[in-house]
Amino acid sequence: MSPLLASVGAETETAFTMPSINYYAIAPILILFGAAVVSVLVEAFVPQRGRRPVQLVIVVGSIVAALAVTIDLRGTRLVTGEGAIAVDGPTLLMWGALLVIGLLGALLMAERSIDPLGDAFAPRASALPGSEDEQEFTRRGFLQTEVWPFLLFALTGMLVFVASNDLLVMFVALEVMSLPLYLLAGMARRRRLLSQEAALKYFLLGAFSSAFFLYGAAMLYGFSGSVSLVAISDTLSAKTGEGSLVAIGIALLMVGLLFKVAAVPFHQWTPDVYQGAPTPVTGFMAATVKIAAFGALLRVLYVSLGGLRWDWEPMLWIIAALTMLVGSVVAITQTDIKRMLAYSSIAQAGFILVGVVAASPQGLASALFYLVAYAFTTIGTFAVITMVRDASGEATHLSKWAGLGKKSPVVAAVFSLFMLSLAGIPLTSGFVGKFGVFAAAIDSGNTWLVIVGVVASVIAAFFYVRVIVLMYFSDPTPDTASVVIPSAFTTIALTASAVMTIALGVFPQWLLDIITQAGVFIR
Amino acid sequence: MNPSSYVVLSALLFSIGAIGVLVRRNAIVVFMSVELMLNAANLAFVSFARMNGNLDGQVVAFFVMVVAAAEVVVGLAIIVTIFRTRRSASIDEPNLLKY
Amino acid sequence: MNVYTPILVLGLLAFGFAAFSVAAATVTGPKRYNRAKYDAYECGIEPTPQPIGGGRFPVKYYLTAMLFIVFDIEIVFLYPWAVAFDQLALFGLIEMFLFIITVLVVYAYVWRRRGLEWD
Repeated sequence: MSPLLASVGAETETAFTMPSINYYAIAPILILFGAAVVSVLVEAFVPQRGRRPVQLVIVVGSIVAALAVTIDLRGTRLVTGEGAIAVDGPTLLMWGALLVIGLLGALLMAERSIDPLGDAFAPRASALPGSEDEQEFTRRGFLQTEVWPFLLFALTGMLVFVASNDLLVMFVALEVMSLPLYLLAGMARRRRLLSQEAALKYFLLGAFSSAFFLYGAAMLYGFSGSVSLVAISDTLSAKTGEGSLVAIGIALLMVGLLFKVAAVPFHQWTPDVYQGAPTPVTGFMAATVKIAAFGALLRVLYVSLGGLRWDWEPMLWIIAALTMLVGSVVAITQTDIKRMLAYSSIAQAGFILVGVVAASPQGLASALFYLVAYAFTTIGTFAVITMVRDASGEATHLSKWAGLGKKSPVVAAVFSLFMLSLAGIPLTSGFVGKFGVFAAAIDSGNTWLVIVGVVASVIAAFFYVRVIVLMYFSDPTPDTASVVIPSAFTTIALTASAVMTIALGVFPQWLLDIITQAGVFIR
Repeated sequence: MNPSSYVVLSALLFSIGAIGVLVRRNAIVVFMSVELMLNAANLAFVSFARMNGNLDGQVVAFFVMVVAAAEVVVGLAIIVTIFRTRRSASIDEPNLLKY
Repeated sequence: MNVYTPILVLGLLAFGFAAFSVAAATVTGPKRYNRAKYDAYECGIEPTPQPIGGGRFPVKYYLTAMLFIVFDIEIVFLYPWAVAFDQLALFGLIEMFLFIITVLVVYAYVWRRRGLEWD
């Protein structure tokens, strides 16, 4: 018998012990996953016409149920599934945020009365764009109801991603989160070539980056003999030598995670995907992926690599500064509003990174607040974009927004609110968020990073305010788009995000209290 | 045989895959290069499992294989859709998303 | 010797099943001969000469290949489970059932959406 077989044989001799799993603590994940499986069955067995209402009930019901369990779990602080899943304060906070944003995203995706042709998705994603088949499907009112299982699977992946306490679970969750999003990005009803192109780019670059993540995980496993974040951390403090394995491992792992948060220089996919994807999906993805990816990044940095902070901090300083500057500067030159918001989201990722590199409990709390505030504002922004339309669909070119403030004052006012919040003007959630991350950075001695951040904020304020000026201080032209009155779905999502943007700006204390109680990651 | 040679081999495979993604122009070949990178990671996991004397790495390799299969399916679906629209699988041709 | 008895029994069972299948097919199956069945190898596709520079395959092959990959790769989880089956006991059995059910859900979806039909 070869030594390899001998060692495997020896391993199987050890008695099997039941893994201890606290099923209630992971109930939100199980509820969403179960709902996703049921929703695939609905796709299989419910006739065409009845699918949409059934799917809506499943999606809304399961998200609300998962949210209820998450709220009931507050104060929980445990590691379950043999150390694979950590349910602690930050996890629960991010679960809550992801579920609420997921619900708002589902409402946007359910909207059917904005576009006269139907919802935001192609009637059959497989039909050739512009073909007779496609026109026939549109005429008969077909809907691609597979978007609902995709939404649920993506949301499940995100919940696992922020809670995963070892690199294997994290990798699987990364893929469960990403794969449905790649497909959703390619399913737009209008401008399908752009949409398919976005899906291809998102997929190829996403797969490329997840391969980097995996190889980084392999290096760290080679160093420590375990994929558990805690075990890696213990080995890092106990064992010296083999520094190259650790350095390569951390660097590759960071590439994978920074790709998902869209940090420079791993941001190239963002503008293309944000512009090409159906707008409700862009809103959902922009808000939730940011939370999920930063959640995982924070956990890896704080739990696993905390002892090496002197090694990774300089790298992240540079990336944070570059991300803020490149995002803000390039956004100025954009003429398409979705593309502009994509670069704005890159700049915002830089601001959040300022909180991340503070590497203190205060930095963690400020990054969490920023993420929640940013997510609500973002989904609201994209909700407005779905409503501003002309004959060919959404009017995303900035010139078509000229004079919108005179044509539709209410919607323009709400959009201005979101722009001001993204720019970080006082009395909006964006200001509290930015103040928090900058304060945390100064406390941990990164004053120069804050200076870069303030400069980037000023540059960014330019293009946010430019949209407001365009809407209010120029006259409507014949080209100016008009605002379509949406149904209750979009109205609820838009109202909720606008209310949260103001509420977190004027009375931020309640969320700050929740975040303080949430504390730090469990080890 | 010394397992560390396998780690070196996996690093080589990973680099070949990464270079393939960067220089090749056919979406399917790019995608195959990504798969090569994933399998290089698998080889590293299995070799490290041997060196560390535990089975974690082998378990990871199983999961990676399944995830890679799921990725293949999603990727081929997207590439085939693009191909049917454009009659080409070149990644240079989809260039509408530029300003 | 005792150690090899199960292998022997398994071999006999396998041989018996193969013989039974062939015999049962000749007795129960319909016999409709056509040109394709007399070809050098019969797997449903007529062998055609490849054009110079390699031919193109219909996109349907990709669909079949995708379905094959999805259902085929799940086996990797069954092997370790089968090896340690007696130790994993009821817990392992239930977990494996849950796993197979999720795969079956996908199968049901593909079947209902006519993914298994060639045309």
